[in-house]
Amino acid sequence: MHDGVAAYVLGVLDDEEHEAFERHLDTCERCQAELVELAELPDQLDELKNSPSSTSGDDPPMSMSH
Amino acid sequence: MCPVLGHLDGRFESADAEAEHRIAVLYQEFGGPLLRHVRKSTGNDLQWAEDVVQETLVRAWRNSARLQWEPSLIWAWLLTVARRIVIDGRRRKSVRPQEVEPPEVDMMSVPDGSERALSAMVVADALRSLSEEHRQVIEHTYLRDRTISEAAEILGIPPGTVKSRLYYGIRALRELLRDKGVAG
Repeated sequence: MHDGVAAYVLGVLDDEEHEAFERHLDTCERCQAELVELAELPDQLDELKNSPSSTSGDDPPMSMSH
Repeated sequence: MCPVLGHLDGRFESADAEAEHRIAVLYQEFGGPLLRHVRKSTGNDLQWAEDVVQETLVRAWRNSARLQWEPSLIWAWLLTVARRIVIDGRRRKSVRPQEVEPPEVDMMSVPDGSERALSAMVVADALRSLSEEHRQVIEHTYLRDRTISEAAEILGIPPGTVKSRLYYGIRALRELLRDKGVAG
């Protein structure tokens, strides 16, 4: 359950899992501490999302580690 | 604009009025900072940001036990609740969410002289220094507005694996950014 904190803070859990994680959070001090640590990290990733970028129709260069 | 406060008159004759008062207090305490924060993720859309703040604080009020937490934890939770509301809104607004492409890490155009651009560059660098597995799950979830399940399907790996890689990837990213003095 603890590793859900990253997905939770990023908001990428399904509704059901998101709610389940919040209930876990209510009683898990470890996850509470990690939530505080990670809370602003998504904002930093937003710098990438919101940053003006060249629009490209090319396939994303995401090699699958081969 | 803020119906819950619309007829607040300072008297608490009913549970509703008391609830409104509590939400007003929440607004006072967290509204401003939260709005400044949320505006960044709504692309400065003020109306949208105000709606998100309102919904966030109403949810906070509904989960008032959490308001007994330490302020740093309340703040972290509020940010997370607000972010989730923004993401849900963006997913609803997007007709074809699967086809929305985020800026590629390798193709960022970063204007000079902007603190924000510098920050984007630092984050892009940090992402590039992660392992392929870690970078991949961050890109395929958060950066593309996809859930764990959606990313798992696209990547052909179990959702639990995506979740776990995301955890270690995000921890690693946080360490990298902290070393660079960007993370708080």
